[in-house]
Amino acid sequence: MSAGHIVTGDELKESAVLEADAVVVGSGSGGAWVAHELVRAGLKVVLLEEGGYHTRREFDLTEARAFPNLYQELGSRTTDDLSITLLQGRSVGGGTTVNWCASFRTPDRIFAHWQKHHGLEALSKESLAPHWDAIEKRLHIAEWPLELVNANNKVLWDGLGALGYERGLIRRNVNNCLNIGYCGMGCPVDAKQSMLVTVIPDAVERGLDVYANVSVRRIVWEGRTASGVEADILDPATNKPTGRTLGVKARVVIASGGAINTPALLLRSQLDGRGLVGRRTWLHPVVVTLAEFEHDINAFSGAPQSVYSHHFVDRGPGKIGFFLEVPPVHPMLAAIVYPGTGASSQALMQRLPKMQAMLAIAVDGLLPEETGATVKLRKDGYGRHSIDYAFTPAHWEAFRTACKEMAKIQFAAGAKRVMSLHLEPVVMESAKEIDKLDAAPWERLRVKVVTAHQMGGCPMGADAATAVVDQRLRYFGLDNLYVVDGSVLPTGLGVNPQETIFGIARWAGNQIAGVL
Amino acid sequence: MTSPAGSSRRTLLKRGLLGTGLLALGGGGFLASRSSKLEPPPPEPLKAVSPEQYAVLAALARRFIPDHPGFPSADSRHTALAADRVISWTDPSAQKETLQLLGLFENALAGFLFGGRTRPFTQLSPQEQDEVLDEWRTSRIAVRRTGWLALRAIVVSAYYGQKETWVVSGYPGPPAGIHQPDAPEWRGGDTPRPPGLGVWTEPAPQPAPEGSTP
Repeated sequence: MSAGHIVTGDELKESAVLEADAVVVGSGSGGAWVAHELVRAGLKVVLLEEGGYHTRREFDLTEARAFPNLYQELGSRTTDDLSITLLQGRSVGGGTTVNWCASFRTPDRIFAHWQKHHGLEALSKESLAPHWDAIEKRLHIAEWPLELVNANNKVLWDGLGALGYERGLIRRNVNNCLNIGYCGMGCPVDAKQSMLVTVIPDAVERGLDVYANVSVRRIVWEGRTASGVEADILDPATNKPTGRTLGVKARVVIASGGAINTPALLLRSQLDGRGLVGRRTWLHPVVVTLAEFEHDINAFSGAPQSVYSHHFVDRGPGKIGFFLEVPPVHPMLAAIVYPGTGASSQALMQRLPKMQAMLAIAVDGLLPEETGATVKLRKDGYGRHSIDYAFTPAHWEAFRTACKEMAKIQFAAGAKRVMSLHLEPVVMESAKEIDKLDAAPWERLRVKVVTAHQMGGCPMGADAATAVVDQRLRYFGLDNLYVVDGSVLPTGLGVNPQETIFGIARWAGNQIAGVL
Repeated sequence: MTSPAGSSRRTLLKRGLLGTGLLALGGGGFLASRSSKLEPPPPEPLKAVSPEQYAVLAALARRFIPDHPGFPSADSRHTALAADRVISWTDPSAQKETLQLLGLFENALAGFLFGGRTRPFTQLSPQEQDEVLDEWRTSRIAVRRTGWLALRAIVVSAYYGQKETWVVSGYPGPPAGIHQPDAPEWRGGDTPRPPGLGVWTEPAPQPAPEGSTP
């Protein structure tokens, strides 16, 4: 088959209707892999992406350029009350274009939970293993060597070691990485093995057509059959609808817009999964502690995430576990996240090179009382949806415990001062002061909560009463609509999600190709 | 805090003004007609906000980034204009809420209900403005903390997103010589995929320009 094309909104001068065997909506970790597998099976596939086609030609390593081009809602996607800020990708390659490269297979205990509580049998460690083997080879996924770990990650490594806590080195999807630390702004040298530079071009060489700046507004369906999608063509310069439309007629429709946007697309299409779509959305909510060191940490430099700890992922019944990693610290995001007054944030910014940041990522969705976030449409929203997260006392207990443990780790690694991200930051001058965190307010909008992992909203499961898609990821109620992205995950994962989604998407792509 | 008047005021805020009801106050009317202290016109036309809202943004910028040794001033970086640009890029629903929030911040009735002030935010002294911001930041009413976070994020990103402000933190900026603005952008079709796509190779050394010293 001859090669396909990558087309952007400005090139689509007139409205058009295309025909294909399959249309895939969204080009991130799910959409890219499923499209790749369908093309590999010889099918004609159209891949639609609402974000732009941005490549290393544009990746100038500035936050000012990266956030508007490469993130949902300019990087300012939030829950309705702003209690949680969501970092989520939006361009060809989706989240993989901007994530920090952490690659983990799904933990065994999560599979066990899904089997026990969600009746999942088809999907297992064994069924995904051959797919992960192939994915890891293609994306050069390998453990990052300790000698290349940057100072920001080294604090976590050293602190964990000093306290005797479990620790590990993260596997990363990079090839000839320069270790400069700008993964979140798009890799300027194509070393990151994102979908943008690997699986998508591989599939285009085999005939995949990619349309960027195309926002799917509706899945067209009748009875039990989807017949395609209707989309707006956006102006790449303004990100606003041009008034021109693109339709795609296809034998199978695959929604891969990720948690948040896939549920919104289904809701716009009057496909609410009997009221389940958009519910049980998991965010791996994150709390952060900042540590100040005597020496420079330069947390903006070097591979952003290379050390992790799963020491606290399983804290026993009734408790929410968390895992530990670190984020890169660049000036604009640091200034936004640090919630001080004018003068106090200036004082912090002046010490930026000496600051180390640590993340505790809560594993949500495993407790019976949790309902997670609910995604709904907004009356006058175009790409912005209502998101409301139901915190429980177990979350706040986990956040408080996590901040105390992180402070302990940071002091054990030599921090001279640790602070929380409360609206009135708790400042600790030594490990003896960690209990100050017990007196801090642990409630929404009193302490900063962020997330970079979005899961659920269209959960897979054996039972249509509790799941939106079946075990083969087919929408309950339609014969040829599939959801293939992080939204099918029934719970949080306890690890960074990209490799789980890669594996599920490659597996699903082979299943779908088999029935077409 | 225990006086009947105080508690009834809080009840009013809780029952009647939360959420969209509260934001609607930003739309105008009531004491909102008390005039704002306007700013000189910006060097480029505004895209999203009115001159009144621009004045609020400028006042907020001076408080979120107060004059401080080593920091370019918020005005010199045209922070309010940059914030206008940020707002203009946001989703229509977010834009509407932001403009309402700016109106609410300025609205003298809201200022009176919240803090007993009868002048708009832009007419207050810097010290009073700091007090207002602190009241929003530490308010018992969650939606005011939300409002503070929203306005702060817009203003702070408009300022610290500019490379001219990197100097304040000693952030050296991205390493030089890595970004290649002329890198090929592959579009498929008959053009072969460039070898650099997915595998980076060291750029060939450029001959030194004439007259340069090694």
